[in-house]
Amino acid sequence: MGIKKYYSLALCSMQNTLAYRLSFILNFAANFIGLIAMYCLWQAVYDGRAQLSGFTWPQMQSYLLITFLVNSMLSYYSESGITNKIIDGSVMMDLLKPLHFQKARLAETLGSCVLEGILSCVLIGVLAVFTVGASLLQDGLTSFLFLISLLSSILVKFGIVYITALLCFWTMSGIGLIWARMAVTNLLSGALVPLAFFPPWLKSIAMLLPFQGIVNTPVTIGLGMTEMIQALQLIAIQWIWIIILWLLGKWMWSWAVRQITIHGG
Amino acid sequence: MFRQAVKDPGLAGAVKHLFTQRYKDKYAVEGIDLTIEEGETVAYVGPNGAGKSTTIKMLSGVLVPSGGEIRVDGLIPYKQRMENAAQIGAVFGQRTQLWWDIPVRESLALLKDIYQVPAYTFKRNMDVFTEILEMESFLHLSARKLSLGQRMRADLAAALLHNPKIVYLDEPTIGLDIAVKQRIRDFIKEMNRTQGTTMLLTTHDLGDIEDLCERLVIIDHGRIIYDGKLQDVKDMFARERTIHMQLSSPVTDIYSSFLDLSDVHLEKDEASQLNPLSLSIRFDRFNCTASEIVKRVMNRTEVIDFRIDEPSIEHIIRRVYEGKMDSSVLSSASRGSA
Amino acid sequence: MKISPRRILYLYWRLFSQQLKAMMEYSADFYIMIGAAVMTQVTGFLFLWVIFSRIPDIQGWQFWEVAFMYAAIYVSEGVGSLFFEGTWRMLRLVNLGELDRYLVRPVPVVLQIFCTGIGMNGLGNIIIGGTIIIMSLSHIHIVWSLQTVGMAIILFVSAMIIRVAINLAANCSAFWIRNSGNAFPIMIHNLGEFAKYPITIFSLGLQLFISIVVPFAFVSFVPAAAMFGKESWSYLGWFSPLVAVYCCGVALLLLRIGLRRYESAGN
Repeated sequence: MGIKKYYSLALCSMQNTLAYRLSFILNFAANFIGLIAMYCLWQAVYDGRAQLSGFTWPQMQSYLLITFLVNSMLSYYSESGITNKIIDGSVMMDLLKPLHFQKARLAETLGSCVLEGILSCVLIGVLAVFTVGASLLQDGLTSFLFLISLLSSILVKFGIVYITALLCFWTMSGIGLIWARMAVTNLLSGALVPLAFFPPWLKSIAMLLPFQGIVNTPVTIGLGMTEMIQALQLIAIQWIWIIILWLLGKWMWSWAVRQITIHGG
Repeated sequence: MFRQAVKDPGLAGAVKHLFTQRYKDKYAVEGIDLTIEEGETVAYVGPNGAGKSTTIKMLSGVLVPSGGEIRVDGLIPYKQRMENAAQIGAVFGQRTQLWWDIPVRESLALLKDIYQVPAYTFKRNMDVFTEILEMESFLHLSARKLSLGQRMRADLAAALLHNPKIVYLDEPTIGLDIAVKQRIRDFIKEMNRTQGTTMLLTTHDLGDIEDLCERLVIIDHGRIIYDGKLQDVKDMFARERTIHMQLSSPVTDIYSSFLDLSDVHLEKDEASQLNPLSLSIRFDRFNCTASEIVKRVMNRTEVIDFRIDEPSIEHIIRRVYEGKMDSSVLSSASRGSA
Repeated sequence: MKISPRRILYLYWRLFSQQLKAMMEYSADFYIMIGAAVMTQVTGFLFLWVIFSRIPDIQGWQFWEVAFMYAAIYVSEGVGSLFFEGTWRMLRLVNLGELDRYLVRPVPVVLQIFCTGIGMNGLGNIIIGGTIIIMSLSHIHIVWSLQTVGMAIILFVSAMIIRVAINLAANCSAFWIRNSGNAFPIMIHNLGEFAKYPITIFSLGLQLFISIVVPFAFVSFVPAAAMFGKESWSYLGWFSPLVAVYCCGVALLLLRIGLRRYESAGN
């Protein structure tokens, strides 16, 4: 099936990430600043309160850490890589190669995700030691289901990122689209605030969209807020979205290529 | 008017000492001592990485030298950047002065405001430039849509719009076709003639040098290795001539006719070997004349046609670059004409 | 060379309006940038609203007071993008040697840097941020007098200057850090996150950091405290102009040192 070439691509992207490690680490630090700000904010919010919308303060701490982990993987860094390919016209070079564009981008994204994931896990490990209250992953089964939902969440995010990136063929606006996508994703995935805090109508809308699979699913499972059956259902929903988004991306790509205009420098 | 200007304290650029470049303590330019008079057109040549661009960027106030002294018309470029900038124009071949997304005409109007060019001067210059550089056809296009030749012409206009006293041209003709090159050279000559503009240009194009410059400065590894008249360097290093002749009948052992002359060689190029009727002889023109050579051949057979090749300046400069020239000859040459 | 403020303003206007004309050619980008900024802000506002729908106040700060701070950060960001976007292009200017052409022109380099581009997202930020600020002010009881109006103007102008100076200073990193994209200035930019909330929720070290080292607090928190008469903090408002001067000084010094280091790009 030629899976090896995609494997090489992923390795290559990992090396690339290492080559730009300063940039990578600074980006990471920039996200980390956001985490600290949120942490302090929530700390003040929970001051003198046992729980809010079903979240205790230790659960909220875990929520923040998990959200940070999910947001760090498939960061702005890998996302802008795809849009830049389209905007600067180097997508043409990819058309010349015997590669499936979508799979190649997925391979690259996963490659850098590995590093992003490792770095965040190290950092979160350190933080978890300091924030003793955090209640992370209470038992083996939860951890297992959490891990699966986390990996699936990357694929959901990729699906959304990829489709947004393809929109560049029409708009030629890379950064604007990324920002818009981030705003929507952050709100509707439950990255800004847990979906449980939403008013009911907003929550039900969010649950019908793919975004909740990115943060809400791994967070709910990781915090042990679900029964096993519910957890499996949530993961199944993630996979339904992964397939839908993949097919949508595939269809958009073939449509984009047909009417491609070269936007060189 | 221009003659008077010549009497003003001339443009004096004395560049000395160490200039740092990236990373290690490697000096891009070292020990350059150069003075240029007002109204001169000087070619500044050397291989890639010799320090030409560095010199120009220091003269124009872009780079700050790590040591030494630079004065341009009495100003220290990097300290009095704005004053210096007001009286210079610069063309950096690969880069444009123009705004990428706005029409050339508007870019030039913007530059008019930046350099505070009086409306009258602006209009007159625009008319003259548009005509000489044939810009009419692309003034309404934005820089991103111009071809290289058009962009270069527009950039020249941009650099000279405010009648600068000094113009730095870094590779102004790089990558251009002959017709555009010629137009650009004509323009530079015209500006030098009518405005008395002092020009310092770096180039790899020998046509540029021969056409535009009386004075030639060659640098390599950040040092000046020749500074003098173009003609002098030709006399000094272009002593050899090659004469190519068409004979009416083959002659054998023609070399014996020149045994009494030193430095005369038979060229063994392909044409003369395949065709017994063609003959090429290389000689030192300070040891004997072309007519002497031809006369001796004519004693043996009839010469139907002949032509004389002088070595191209490219050839000479290449030899200088490659260090094949005797460096003592070079330094005496540069002292002699300084 | 002396250059009059009037001429600086004129040149700024000329350079800015030309960039604006060029921008208009990419109309899709134009609207998307505005739209993206609006969306980012609205979601941020929703976030605050969701939190405050569960709790009455955060350490004595009401919803509209925090919204005001939130919006102040966004408006300053918007002013920075719309009118001084060029600071964000310094990396490109330095790495591709495009500063060369700025250096050979008789116009202050910093002015030319400012006018290198226009970020249309800034317009979105200013519109929504401005709306939220006006809404906040109408929800909060303030006794308007000549003094408060004067104070508001001083605080606002200082805040904008501080923000732009921080942007400029952060982007001067381009002279030192060559191959890390905009990561460093973005990191500094993100420090603004801390100034979206009452800084009393942070540890003392962080408070000092964002009030003195990278004084984002003077963009949002201090103006809010001064306008809403938060005792024990409001006096800081009088320091705003000083902090603005300090920020400009540091930014221009960094630019100057950076330009001395500038190496241009090959040949």
